[in-house]
Amino acid sequence: MLSLLHFDVLPLAELEVGHHFYWHLGGLKVHGQVFMTSWFVIGLLLLVSVLATRNMQRVPKGLQNLMEYVFEFVRDIAKNQLGEKEYRPWLPFIGTLFLFIFVSNWSGALLPWHVIEIPEGELAAPTGDINTTVALALLTSLAYFYAGFKKRGLGYFAKYIEPTPILLPIAILEDFTKPLSLSFRLFGNILADELVVAVLVLLVPLFVPLPVMMLGLFTSAIQALVFATLAAAYIHEALEGHGDEGHEEHA
Amino acid sequence: MFDFDATLPLMALQFVLLTFLLNAVFFKPISKTIDERDGYIRTSKSSTAEYLKEAEKLAKQYEQELADSRKQAQQVIAQAQAEAKDSVDKQIAQAQAEAQQQREQVQKELDQQKQEAFRTLEGQVDSLSQQILGKLLGAPAA
Repeated sequence: MLSLLHFDVLPLAELEVGHHFYWHLGGLKVHGQVFMTSWFVIGLLLLVSVLATRNMQRVPKGLQNLMEYVFEFVRDIAKNQLGEKEYRPWLPFIGTLFLFIFVSNWSGALLPWHVIEIPEGELAAPTGDINTTVALALLTSLAYFYAGFKKRGLGYFAKYIEPTPILLPIAILEDFTKPLSLSFRLFGNILADELVVAVLVLLVPLFVPLPVMMLGLFTSAIQALVFATLAAAYIHEALEGHGDEGHEEHA
Repeated sequence: MFDFDATLPLMALQFVLLTFLLNAVFFKPISKTIDERDGYIRTSKSSTAEYLKEAEKLAKQYEQELADSRKQAQQVIAQAQAEAKDSVDKQIAQAQAEAQQQREQVQKELDQQKQEAFRTLEGQVDSLSQQILGKLLGAPAA
C-alpha cells in the first residue's frame, strides 16, 4: 500500500499510512487496529453510560449530571433537525453516531495510541479508517431510506420526481453523494489532522505541533457534530419529502 | 488507504449493536429520568400554585374578618361614647334643673322674708311715726 513517510533514522516520530494490522477471520481480512481502538471507544461509552445511569437521582450530580448534559446536547441535535414530533425514535441512532464519532476522534487526538506497539501498522482513531466512516455513512443511508419507507411507503419514490421529473437523475445521484460526502468528509478530516500532527512532530518534536493539535481537537468535535447533524437532516428530508412539504402543512 | 474489506460490515454491525446497547443503558434511562423530573416539577409547580391560591384566599378571608371586627370595635366604641355622652348630658341637665329649682326656692324664700320684713317694717312705721309725731308734737306742747 501507500507509505508516505517512513523514517527509521528518526525513532522519535514515525508515520505510517496504509499499513494495517490484519486479522484473518475465516477467509476474511479485517483491520485489527481499527477494531481494537473502536472496542476501546465502545467500552468507554458503555462504561460511562452504565456508571452514570446506575443510580439515577432526581437531583443529578457528578457523572449523571455530565451524561444528562451530553444527552441533552445530542437530543438538541436530533430535535433541531427532525422537529419535536419525529425526533424520539431517531435519537438513539443520531446520538450514538455523535458519541461514537466524537469519542473516536478525541481518543485519536488525545490518547497516545501510537505508543502502544502492535505487530504492524499503528493504533489510531477508528474514524481515521475509511471502512469505519463508510460503514457509518451507509448506515445513515439505510436509516433515511428506512425512515422514508416507513413513513410514506412506496410514495417515498415520489420525491424523486416530485418537483419535476427533469431532476430525477440529480435526485438519484444524491443518494450516492450523500454517503460519499459523509464518509469522505469525516475520514479526510481525521486522517489529515493525524498526518499534519505527525508531520509537524516529525519536523519539530516540541511545542510547535501544539496549536495544530488544538485545531485538531476542534476539527474532531466539529466533524462529529457535522456528521450527526447531516444524518439527522437526511432522515428529516426523507420523512418530510422533497416537494410536498407545502402540501403537508396545509393538510 | 482505501482498502475496503470485512472491516466495513463488521464495523457497521458493531455500530448497530452499540446503538441498541446505548439505547438500553444511556438514552432510555436518562430520558426516563428527565421526563420523570419534568413531570415532578410540573406537578409540584401546579400544586404550589394551588397552595398559593389557597393561602391567598385564606389571607383575604382573614383580612375581611379583621376589617369586620375592626368595624365592629369602632361601632362599640362609638356606641359607648354616645351612651356616655347621653348620660353626662342627662346628669348635667338634671343638675342644672336642680340648681335652678334651688335658686328659685331660695329666691322665693328671700322674697317672702323681704315681704315679711316690709310688713313688719310697715307695722313699725306706724308706731314710729306716731312716736315721732308725739315727740314732735309733745315737745312743743310740753
